Amino acid sequence: MDISSLNKLFESLHPLENKFLLTFAQGDLLTAPRVIELSGLDESRLDMASGWLVSKGLLSVTEEPGVSLVTLTETGSEYRDKGTPEQRIIRALQEGKQFSVKDIIQTWGMDPSEVSSATGSLKASGVIRIVQGGILELVTGADLRAYEYLGTVISEVGSGTSLVLSSLTPDKQELVQANFHKRGKGKGIFRITEKKNRTFSLTEAGKEILRLLRERGAVTEEASALTPDMLKQGTWKNVRFRSYNISLNPPRTSIGRKHPYREFLDYVKYQFVSMGFQEMRGPLVENEFWDMDALFMPQFHPARNIHDVYFVKDPSHAKEIEAPFGRQVAAAHRDGGRTGSTGWRYQFDFERTRRLILRSQGTAVSARTLASGPKVPGKYFSIARCFRYDAVDATHAPDFNQVEGIVLGEDINFRTLLGLLKLFGQEIAKAEEFQFRPAYFPFTEPSVELHVKHPKLGWMELGGAGIFRPEVTLPLGVDVPVIAWGLGLDRMAMVALGIQDIRDLFSRDLDFVRTKKIKLGQ
Amino acid sequence: MPTIDIKKKDLDGLIGKKLSLETLENHLKLAKAELKEYNAESDDMKVELSDSNRPDLWCAEGVARQIRMHLTGKPEEYPFFKPGRKATRIIRVAKDMKAVRPYLAACTAQGIRMNDAVLTQMIQSQDKLAEIFGRKRSTVSIGIYELDKIAFPVDYRLAAPDEISFTPLGMTEKMTLGRILDQHPKGIQYGGIVRPFKKYPVLIDGMNQVLSFPPIINSTEIGEVKTTTRNVLVEVTGTDQRMVALTLNIIAVSLYDRGAEIDPVQVVCPYATDLGKNITFPRDTSITVSLSPERFSQALGEDVSAVDLKRRLTAYGHRVRSMGKALKITCPPYRDDMMHPMDMVEDYAISRGYESFEAVMPRESTVGGLSSLEVFSDTVRGHMVGTGFQEFVSNILCSREELADALSADDRLIEVDNVMSLAYSVVRHSVLPSLLNVESASSKAFYPHRTFEVGEVALPDSGSIMGTRTDLNLGAIISHPTANFSEMHSTLDVLLYYLGIEYKLVPSEHPLFLSGRCGKVQAGDNVLGYIGELRPEVLERRQIAMPTAAFEINLNRIQL
Repeated sequence: MDISSLNKLFESLHPLENKFLLTFAQGDLLTAPRVIELSGLDESRLDMASGWLVSKGLLSVTEEPGVSLVTLTETGSEYRDKGTPEQRIIRALQEGKQFSVKDIIQTWGMDPSEVSSATGSLKASGVIRIVQGGILELVTGADLRAYEYLGTVISEVGSGTSLVLSSLTPDKQELVQANFHKRGKGKGIFRITEKKNRTFSLTEAGKEILRLLRERGAVTEEASALTPDMLKQGTWKNVRFRSYNISLNPPRTSIGRKHPYREFLDYVKYQFVSMGFQEMRGPLVENEFWDMDALFMPQFHPARNIHDVYFVKDPSHAKEIEAPFGRQVAAAHRDGGRTGSTGWRYQFDFERTRRLILRSQGTAVSARTLASGPKVPGKYFSIARCFRYDAVDATHAPDFNQVEGIVLGEDINFRTLLGLLKLFGQEIAKAEEFQFRPAYFPFTEPSVELHVKHPKLGWMELGGAGIFRPEVTLPLGVDVPVIAWGLGLDRMAMVALGIQDIRDLFSRDLDFVRTKKIKLGQ
Repeated sequence: MPTIDIKKKDLDGLIGKKLSLETLENHLKLAKAELKEYNAESDDMKVELSDSNRPDLWCAEGVARQIRMHLTGKPEEYPFFKPGRKATRIIRVAKDMKAVRPYLAACTAQGIRMNDAVLTQMIQSQDKLAEIFGRKRSTVSIGIYELDKIAFPVDYRLAAPDEISFTPLGMTEKMTLGRILDQHPKGIQYGGIVRPFKKYPVLIDGMNQVLSFPPIINSTEIGEVKTTTRNVLVEVTGTDQRMVALTLNIIAVSLYDRGAEIDPVQVVCPYATDLGKNITFPRDTSITVSLSPERFSQALGEDVSAVDLKRRLTAYGHRVRSMGKALKITCPPYRDDMMHPMDMVEDYAISRGYESFEAVMPRESTVGGLSSLEVFSDTVRGHMVGTGFQEFVSNILCSREELADALSADDRLIEVDNVMSLAYSVVRHSVLPSLLNVESASSKAFYPHRTFEVGEVALPDSGSIMGTRTDLNLGAIISHPTANFSEMHSTLDVLLYYLGIEYKLVPSEHPLFLSGRCGKVQAGDNVLGYIGELRPEVLERRQIAMPTAAFEINLNRIQL
């Protein structure tokens, strides 16, 4: 071996290895007990040091079969303190107690399988019998010696830390073998460990290193950490600090962190603010008035029946509809009122309009904003949790977020509607190609669907929009044109998070949420 | 909205031109339709129609018509709508129909160029019209019969449940009306429409043959249309006369498009209706509106000429005449969806093509901003993240079971009335159960766990006009081997310090928290929420194997 490799090896030595190597001054072949005696290392450190030295090619080990040591298992220790289950049962019976197998399980706190095997064994050997009502009874004159003998052996083994198996009498050895714990099997009382006799010798490289050790001297004390005390006392100067293996993986840590989906929504939120939109909010529990009637959806509209919205049980109705909107909206439905429309020509149901439901569309928030005296010109958006009466699957969450809003102004018309949608496509979906398709929404005319070419997803429907019908705006007191728009951003959120199932946006799995990364603005 | 099946070859035939799939898809925009599927081998297309106010488009004939008019630039002529046509066939309506199903409209169609595709479309369109437009046959239902087997006049009258029997479609033996309701699949499905009445509607001809039991089922002898059928009687009954008349018009124009000669039927009614007592159907009920080109220009954001308006609207099926500066626009008789002039603006825009309009940004500037509650919520979330908590976003709809152990005796929940699944039958009143769900599902995630959510909850509130209110709550949880009150308190304390809230903890009881280790978070007289160590029975029930502490506070109340 060349000198540089030897030097490297020398530098790598741990103080424990040094201690180990230095014992070889006294001989070429050393047994483990001898090394312990000479070096002052304990058994576990000896194992560590010898293992490292072997792996570095400095030491060779020969092993011969040695002695078997017997110790108590956890169960064995318990039996030593309380007696074996059989002994406990016999003792209790001798004390004249009356009980059944069920009583033992329920009140003694013993494992049911343990109880049943104990009673089984006692019954089989004729020590007990089971009489009416499942009560156990001691058979008079039964031979109890076998059970007592086991107790004696447990005590003997359990009196010290370990015992050499061969020091026991043959019949005791047999008993130990019969009750010893095999790895992976059920409860045993004894554990038997094989102890091997090891003899160590230095390899040629080991001898070289030992020579260097003698020549150069060696650090045999090492510290794992710098302590405030060492700094205070200055003792750090006499200590060598153990080198770390820096190629190991660090322990995992978690940080305080926004939810990745919420981070996506925050980003969307700030994009809208930057485009001049004011946030609006509304309640989770709506009434049919704001959710549908105010949006000129006739009360007989197919999307309004029992299978499309969640109705609230109690309270079932709002107390009233804010005046004058209830009356004005009803007129628009009936005959158009003052909107220039023919209306839907039916009798508006004032009871039904107060019916409470779980908000089915974010447009309800827009309707409330229209009635609250919005700014003109004005732009508004909301990210509203909505509920739709759908079976829950990979594309339907029980509740989900809708991104919706309105734009009011004298200059609102069909062309500015298209312009606004184009802006959304560019800013929100980073798209450069757009397609506008005719669409149908009960509350807008004209209505448009915006399809965009998303850089990653290809052509997709980004949202729907239109100009609110006068039947919507006029009864709510707004006399300028209003754009209503809604965007479907869940697919983009799912791509940003790298998930396929919409329910994962609301995952309950901490590990999943901790490990999800998200990139925004792409 | 409806999705219909069409053979492409059939559609091409109706349009009068074989279109490439790409061209067709583009033209489908005229009908607000979208091609969902096309199987080149079987030639089957699935087309989705999105406009619930255009039932005339829910069949191959209707979609083809809209495209055909665009290609020819002319509206279709349907001469049978000309007033003054004499009907030779009569249907008599009995007096007592008024209370049950008062309106009927009918016409005949002879010489249909029948084949499999035509028959499929007839059945499909009948079904879509009655199901969706006719609200599951309650407002409108349709019957089509072999004309040559009927002896006129036909009577539309009531019959007792056991008075009349006939062999309904799908059966081989005669059944009474009562038995049909009990046993026939259609009787079971639609019986609810007539069951409230003592007697049921029937159509019976001059030879006492039963045509049908509207709106339930036709007779096999007369009311079964086959590929050999050429001449039919079409009848529509219902509770809304405008919808009944419109439905007949839609079917009549479709059959005319299939080469049939349409002849009128006179309906004689003993009671007054909006259309009179003696009505000859089909009848043009369409309206005429008068609009100035300026109205269009204003709504569209660009100047449009009267000439172009006339051209585009005509190509979309309207009749347009100039009256001075205004345009008089008449809707085709198969449409009844013009409620407001804006509807005509959209028709023009669709006819011209949305892509022909230049997208222009709204020029008026506005100031953006967040609501004060959202700004506050962001601040709170920032502090929680800084304190080392992982944020969560949970569903709001859940099961009562999930909230049960977090309910005090006087807590009431917002419950769903029409429950679809117990798993989603209540709205959460608190955020902590959502975070406890996370703990139950995350015992394998390495500890410590520190999670929070700022989320909406809903509660009954008799003080509000809605009877309910929505709150924004902050919930936070720690779960690890030494998690305790004191650690949770530190988090709450530092949070409220930065929010500038003076608070104290008042010993209290809460169903989630251990007695003696629970506090009410109080700022002056204002109760903000609760803090405590979770009861072991709660943890055990939810299979959470670590000591856990938590707090929840109401952000609306802090913000006040």
